[in-house]
Amino acid sequence: MADIKKETMRKLLAKLAESMTLVGPSDNGKVVEYKKTDADSVLMDDRISYKSPKEFYFPQTEKLLTFSRDEAVENTDVPPTVIFGAKPCDLEALRVMNAVFMEGRYADPFFDRHMSQNLIIGVGCLKKKPGCFCDELGLDMEFSDFCDIMLTDTGDTYKVEHLSEKGEKALAQLPETAKVTCANKRTAKKPDGDVIGLSADIEDITLFDSVNWSDLTATCQGCGMCTYICPTCHCFEFKDVSKDGCVERYRCWDSCIYPKFTLHASGHNPRASRADRYRQRVLHKYLYVKKNTGHAACTGCGRCLRSCPVGVNIKTVAKAVMEVAK
Amino acid sequence: MSVLETQAQKVRDSAKKLLADATAQTVIGYADEGVDGLCVPVFITDVKDVGRLVWNRRSVPNLASYLIGRKGKTAIVAKPCDARAVVNLIVENQIKRDDVHIIGMDCPGMTDAAGAALHACETCQVNTSPVFDERIENAEVKPVSPEKRDAERGLDENLARFTKEMEKCILCFSCRQACYGCYCQTCFMDRGVPDWHPESPDMGAKMLYHLGRAMHLAGRCVECGACENACASGVDVRYLIREVTGFVKELYGYDTGLSLEDQPAMLTYQPDDREVGFLGGEAHG
Ligand code: SF4
Ligand code: SF4
Ligand code: SF4
Ligand code: SF4
Ligand code: SF4
Repeated sequence: MADIKKETMRKLLAKLAESMTLVGPSDNGKVVEYKKTDADSVLMDDRISYKSPKEFYFPQTEKLLTFSRDEAVENTDVPPTVIFGAKPCDLEALRVMNAVFMEGRYADPFFDRHMSQNLIIGVGCLKKKPGCFCDELGLDMEFSDFCDIMLTDTGDTYKVEHLSEKGEKALAQLPETAKVTCANKRTAKKPDGDVIGLSADIEDITLFDSVNWSDLTATCQGCGMCTYICPTCHCFEFKDVSKDGCVERYRCWDSCIYPKFTLHASGHNPRASRADRYRQRVLHKYLYVKKNTGHAACTGCGRCLRSCPVGVNIKTVAKAVMEVAK
Repeated sequence: MSVLETQAQKVRDSAKKLLADATAQTVIGYADEGVDGLCVPVFITDVKDVGRLVWNRRSVPNLASYLIGRKGKTAIVAKPCDARAVVNLIVENQIKRDDVHIIGMDCPGMTDAAGAALHACETCQVNTSPVFDERIENAEVKPVSPEKRDAERGLDENLARFTKEMEKCILCFSCRQACYGCYCQTCFMDRGVPDWHPESPDMGAKMLYHLGRAMHLAGRCVECGACENACASGVDVRYLIREVTGFVKELYGYDTGLSLEDQPAMLTYQPDDREVGFLGGEAHG
């Protein structure tokens, strides 16, 4: 590992921002969010943004193609982006997203384009924030290798290590005097204590009736905000918009919490109640994605419990489900 | 024991009694079980659980919307603004007066995690419940400050401010879900035809939603601030609605949810109603 001053890091970011879009944690006056910013104002403290950086590799809406009767043109226009300051929970979430979009039966070309164009600079957390429970998911709050460059905050300086060729190239753009070569050698630590998790062998249907979903989720107001700000929620729908005699097809975030998510054309809704929908959210995270990819799709970032207006706590719900599943 | 803790004890005593003598099947109140001290809604149905009930300056969520569609009689721990919401739900025929027992809390105002007064509480006009079945007093609650309306702004200035707020919005609809008054089975934003919501979080869609919602809350907003408290993005969601509430008061002299007898401003017509309340009527002034 090598040390570089935060000021030097800002210079590097400014340099990278000449040819790429820079996004990072920013203070909007009320809350910290992830957004386009500049090298001078990007936050370099330990605060966590209320929403995850996922919109920069899985945008809230993204044009996929434009088509007419005669031809279809795929949208390959992806802005190269530097994602600065992603926390280990966000990076682990990216690992899950990558498994979902790239490692299944189909590889998603749009996600792939974002991933190959993006430069991801992670930063380890100094301490747990209220609501964080990454440790209870077996993750290391200080480190994840699912990024191009990993930083460790030591006050005025960062300890720097690169984890990819892309990261190494980016670091080569540092001002002469601060050049660092610092390939990563460490691995994530496994925290002590029990890990929240369900065995991928569980027959999902057994959890439909044996868990008291209505009681566990009675206070949920069905807003779906938790799914928007979550780093691993990845459900989407398509929307066609007519424009200039052609059709533009968009992919837009959707949410299992919304009643329209599963509403059939007949009017029947297989997930009729909020409890049914929240069950989907929890089991998708802790069971279905695990069955499909081997990873649980919750990294304990704590965002949903911090921001839920009525304090619905997915950790408590997951633990209650574990009890029943035992 | 602090005044708030005394109030909390009275809530627990009352809940115990209401459940024991079957006056209510459920008591909806607050439990100190959220992140960063936030009190979260809790549904108590068994006397042995009343110990979970608390009352403090982080009893933030408005619990009124949980009353809609409930079976059996429900008691609700209601801040004054929440009690106004309950009253308006009764006035709008969404719940029956006989099905609800209002535990009206005198309210010292709620705070955020850092202890700063919430925006809505800073300008609160009603800090004792207008309608209640029992009142739990707090002698430290001071009379409210006279109403502060935002100063009139020009169109350009208004648009600039609105745009600035909308830039933060991610169109998650959490504000709608938190609002007691947004109980429509299908919100206009969720309708397929016409396509109100272009499924893209662009300015147009965001403005359409917030303008539409502001109009739908005209004469119905109880100024509880649940919408802005719900917003994780830090949008001043309520700023347009505050303006509309001000107009309704000015035009019709009506405050929402203060009395079970009042006719809602937007559901009645008087021949001498000011023309400005109609499309194409006199200019505002
Ligand atoms: S859990 Fe909370 S944030 Fe998520 S949909 Fe329910 S009320 Fe909204
Ligand atoms: S479910 Fe909640 S805690 Fe888990 S990753 Fe998503 S936002 Fe974070
Ligand atoms: S619009 Fe906001 S302040 Fe008004 S009643 Fe609804 S949630 Fe409360
Ligand atoms: S915004 Fe309007 S249509 Fe939508 S739920 Fe609220 S009142 Fe109903
Ligand atoms: S104002 Fe806030 S709560 Fe409402 S839709 Fe926008 S981001 Fe969501």
